[in-house]
Amino acid sequence: MRTIDTKGQLCPAPLIAAKKALKETVAGETFIVITDNKTSFDNLCRFLKDNKADIKSSESGGVWTLTVTKSVNDLVQTNVEEYCDPSISHFQKGNFIVVVSSDKMGEGDDELGHLLMINFIKALKDLDKLPRKIVFYNNGVKLVTKSSPAIEHLRDLEKMGVELMLCATCVNFYCLDTVIGAGIVSNMFSIVDAMASSDKVLRP
Amino acid sequence: MKIDLLQMVESGGCSAKISPKQLEEILKYLPLPVDPNILVDIDTHDDAGVYRVNDDLALVLTTDFFPPVCSDPYEFGQIAASNSISDVYAMGGDPVLALNIMMFPASKLPMEAYAEILKGGFDKATEAGVRIIGGHTIDDYPPKYGLAVVGYIHPDKIITNAGSRPSDSLILTKPIGTAVILAGHRLGMVSENDLDEAKSMMKLLNKTGADVMKKHKIKGATDITGFGLAGHCLKMAKASKVSFTINMKEVPLIGNSYRLIDEGCIPGASFRNLEYAEKEIEFATDLDYNLKMLAFDAQTSGGLLFSAPSKKVNIILEDLFAAGLFNSKVIGLVTEPKEKFIYLVN
Repeated sequence: MRTIDTKGQLCPAPLIAAKKALKETVAGETFIVITDNKTSFDNLCRFLKDNKADIKSSESGGVWTLTVTKSVNDLVQTNVEEYCDPSISHFQKGNFIVVVSSDKMGEGDDELGHLLMINFIKALKDLDKLPRKIVFYNNGVKLVTKSSPAIEHLRDLEKMGVELMLCATCVNFYCLDTVIGAGIVSNMFSIVDAMASSDKVLRP
Repeated sequence: MKIDLLQMVESGGCSAKISPKQLEEILKYLPLPVDPNILVDIDTHDDAGVYRVNDDLALVLTTDFFPPVCSDPYEFGQIAASNSISDVYAMGGDPVLALNIMMFPASKLPMEAYAEILKGGFDKATEAGVRIIGGHTIDDYPPKYGLAVVGYIHPDKIITNAGSRPSDSLILTKPIGTAVILAGHRLGMVSENDLDEAKSMMKLLNKTGADVMKKHKIKGATDITGFGLAGHCLKMAKASKVSFTINMKEVPLIGNSYRLIDEGCIPGASFRNLEYAEKEIEFATDLDYNLKMLAFDAQTSGGLLFSAPSKKVNIILEDLFAAGLFNSKVIGLVTEPKEKFIYLVN
């Protein structure tokens, strides 16, 4: 039987070894964890129970032996990917912001430029490190209206913890205040401050 | 010689706190002094004591010290000082004076490390506008450092654990996960980026967050330290006689702390904190186990948690962002007292 000897190790090392074993074990299979630390033993018991494993334990001469059987149901949670659902806000952020000053990307045909901008916003979601904020001003604020083709992507980004800052003057100028579909309306100071305090500013 | 303070300790920072359960047992037998000028004492499990001098001035007193949380002595000094001063900010006070508290193994470490720790503490205190006017050192292993701090506060403007009201929103100003990151770092599981993020969060004074709290006349707050987010929420909900619903999915996390917990990297202090608080907490049946354990992660020099009228939340958040606290987030709601003090959901 597989035996994990964690003698001489302190928490959380024994837990890490036990969790690894639990992940590599199929339901119904049994393995053994050994520890010589009472606190580690208590924590292992608690941790393994919380992870729905059956445990039996014995002690002799200051060494605890846990016989762990993985129960039929899988771990409470093993799948990190499953956790990364867009409704969850624990995405890594880089210290950069995106500034959107137009609803079009690049010079040339307007229709193409608009399409490119939507694609740009969509692609932001796939970055390993998300921007901390996206700032919208001038024509850029039109992307954040309820009927904008980018709005679903922007709402996703917001759920992923990216702040959307909309220039208040611009929203008022274009009379969009009743049709804004995401983000927070901000003043110019907040916008300048956001740009000044980030390492990088990305401009599509 | 490159000094590595982490070689000397098993658990550093606020993870090294005594178990809250044991502490409560002992404190039961100590009578609380009775004096009308004592405005805040440990009765409400507050962050610091407050003593009225006259109608316009009260003193905030607090102390905190702990073993190293990082290898570099200067950085350790900065973090320890920031953590010690934080309790004054959490009460809405202005820190003014401090004394060094140092335990240092003179035979095991070069005196240069001693100087560096004090220098880190001095620089952080200066940044906070605090004058260090003395201190005390004893020869002891492993090293420990912190400050005893005195702050000024107006007796009518004290922010306490007891000031949270139903229908308020709960705002947290720093991400959590320092203990997981530090434990993972010792085992070589943490990237430099994540370690840097944790260290910069621990060094960050809660001054800016406290300024925003004062501007908006916040009544209820605490700082998140050794008892973890859930533990400090529990103390605050109890003192305020309300219940908190905390949405763990909204809680900002440092770097890859979620992934570390998922790999089993759960520091011992988390279990201690869990054991102390769990009877008074209801865990949603679908609560993610890793997020649950993060709620009990002992924070070193953690952020402020404060209770704000829900309709003012947007403007307060804007002020917090403007102050550079980009991780500030609404993480829960205050309700009338229910069966349990804390409801952890996701």
